[in-house]
Amino acid sequence: MAYDVIVIGAGLAGLTGGLRLAEAGRRVLLLAKGHSHTHWSAGTIGVAYDEQPLAAVARLAAQPDHPYARAGIPDLTAAVARLRELCAAANYPLAGALDRNTRLPTAVGALRPAALFPGTMAAGDAASHAPILVAGFREFRDFFPSLVAANLTAQGLPARGVYLDLPRTRRQLDFPTTSFGRLFEDRAFRADVGRQLRAARGDAARIALPAVLGLRDAGAVVNELRELSGVPVFEIPTPPPSVPGIRLYDILAEAFQRAGGRLQIGSWVLRGEGEGRRLRAIYTEAAAREQRHTADYYLLATGGIAGGGLRTDHTGAIVETALGLPVAAPAQRTDWFAPRFLAPEGHAIYRAGIGASATLRPLDSQGVVVYENVVVAGAALAGADLIHEGAYEGVALATGWRAAGELLGAAGETRNAEAAGLPAADH
Amino acid sequence: MSKQPEQLDRSLNLTLDYCIKCNVCTSACPVARVTDLFPGPKYVGPQAQRFRQPGQESPDHSVDYCSGCRVCNMVCPTGVRIAELNARARAQIVAAHGLPLRNRLLGRSEVMGILGTPVAPLANWTLHTPVLRWAIEKTVRVHRKAPLPSFAGHTFRGWFRKRGARPQAKKVVYFHGCSTNYYEPHVGEAAVEVLEHNGFEVLLAPQNCCGLPLLSNGEFRAARRYHRNNLRKLLPYVRQGYAIVGTSTSCTLTLKEEAPELLGLHSDDVRLLAENTYDIFEFLRDLHERGELRTDFGRIEQTLPYHPPCQLRAHRIGHPARDVLELVPGLRL
Repeated sequence: MAYDVIVIGAGLAGLTGGLRLAEAGRRVLLLAKGHSHTHWSAGTIGVAYDEQPLAAVARLAAQPDHPYARAGIPDLTAAVARLRELCAAANYPLAGALDRNTRLPTAVGALRPAALFPGTMAAGDAASHAPILVAGFREFRDFFPSLVAANLTAQGLPARGVYLDLPRTRRQLDFPTTSFGRLFEDRAFRADVGRQLRAARGDAARIALPAVLGLRDAGAVVNELRELSGVPVFEIPTPPPSVPGIRLYDILAEAFQRAGGRLQIGSWVLRGEGEGRRLRAIYTEAAAREQRHTADYYLLATGGIAGGGLRTDHTGAIVETALGLPVAAPAQRTDWFAPRFLAPEGHAIYRAGIGASATLRPLDSQGVVVYENVVVAGAALAGADLIHEGAYEGVALATGWRAAGELLGAAGETRNAEAAGLPAADH
Repeated sequence: MSKQPEQLDRSLNLTLDYCIKCNVCTSACPVARVTDLFPGPKYVGPQAQRFRQPGQESPDHSVDYCSGCRVCNMVCPTGVRIAELNARARAQIVAAHGLPLRNRLLGRSEVMGILGTPVAPLANWTLHTPVLRWAIEKTVRVHRKAPLPSFAGHTFRGWFRKRGARPQAKKVVYFHGCSTNYYEPHVGEAAVEVLEHNGFEVLLAPQNCCGLPLLSNGEFRAARRYHRNNLRKLLPYVRQGYAIVGTSTSCTLTLKEEAPELLGLHSDDVRLLAENTYDIFEFLRDLHERGELRTDFGRIEQTLPYHPPCQLRAHRIGHPARDVLELVPGLRL
């Protein structure tokens, strides 16, 4: 079928770019190998590890090869504005702000900064020293209330851990995060948990629970548990599958499809077929024979090494898995890592990725554009150590938004300004 | 395709090594969602698979609850062939412990069709009368409320033979499958009309059940027989350059991939049949992409529900039915 744009990758960058294109009226197909980054991550938006994230973004953007140098504060602001609208419309408003980070507890009781985060996590703000009751269930693995509480206490946040009794349910054996998410959508289950929280509360001024408080209507669940327990309740992100990450995915994927976008999950892009400086077609793996797809433009958002967009092998070769684009990476395998694991400058291998022009077109080692009709977004881009910088989601949102804007041309710039709450330019 | 058969066979099992234990499959699994009896694709698939060795008792019989819907394969970010691992594990259990009569009967939709069609009124009455269903539940163990299809009373093949072929230069083979032949001949009648409208003569090649019900129940030996028979019957047509087009995504998936992969059949003949088998909407979409589909559609002002079949998911070709039907003016899905 004839598409204007094919987006490859269903992480934050691909979904953001695809959404912007579809909402601008483009016919968009989004291909992805499966669920990944959203389902593995905390569901918070990290922009940069710094007291003032936007100032850090400006500093990173001064590095000529950094993705923030291609898509900076205006794109980030516009993408975040649209994401906030969508989350608010889904009754799942995001809290926080781009100009300051909030430190929130993790499932091991560490404090992790995020610029934006679900309102369901807001009461966990480490700036407050109000005593915390950390509650969990023995049946829920990988979340140990006393461990979280002990580590928080050691960092000056008074906390106490407690196990709740699992209310009577049809389920008896161990279950993943999403099963708990569904249980919390049951009123009787919530009432039982609420009663236990009130009884266990003691002098705690807020209560932490693992982030499984409803797949769909978490805002309402958290409010109800606050009423029942008598103090504010907040979520702590869990190991995967991450319910807050899934909520974010669902909100974006549904908005994308509402706008007319087509989503094809479970289809690996194996290769591209070029003609000069144009990518003519791409092929996905399928039963018995590959499926051929064509579009005028392509947005590559397949992620880095963790997301599967880049693959390395024991010889030190690094390949871009979908289109076989040239990868900017250390020449020798011995140059991948700094001598020390926690080296402050990070490891060179994590900056590997696809070199991109100012308009996010993929470049070869000579700095020449490989395909004029391809733009690249997210962790697939070279030049950033996203985990080290705390910029994973920020770069995904900014470059995804920008990559779509590059394909929309001038019309895109107008929407960009409107979405950012700025007056559209006069014509 | 340069891989040797034994490599292909191994590669399916080796996909379990790609499992990073992220549990994305379990969170998407519709069976694990509703019952404790199924601990989820990750546990019964890549995890338990490490303990399934030839000649040893399978450690995990809960794999039998896998419905084969392949949502796990679809969402897996690292490409583990979970549903296929599960199907093979079930076959290992069946080989060791046998199969209840119920599964033997339900797996043979073709035999049921041959027996039921001539006596359709009686058979339908039997299958839809509560007291008899109660008796069936007690003897064969099929729940009395489980919906069973009704025999149409005539077969698609009979209808086609009576109507006669309509010769045209371009030809395709229609793979009707058991369901269309015995229960819903109107599906096949519609498919023939659409294909003929697009300039194809429809050939009614000899064929038998694709064997999917047997594969689903773990009766791999019987399924292998069915696939060999279909190969023998269909290959002469494929060799003449005719595509095999089916309306059942289950049958076409079996010919394309399920039978070859699960049964470890990787000869050139098997591959030739697989590569020339198409879901009908996939076939029509390909025609459209080449500009060869007749798009003289009448207007249909309607909004219709569309439930994609489970096995379509495993074709990994998106939603061709939606792509084609949205070409019909006025129609919304």
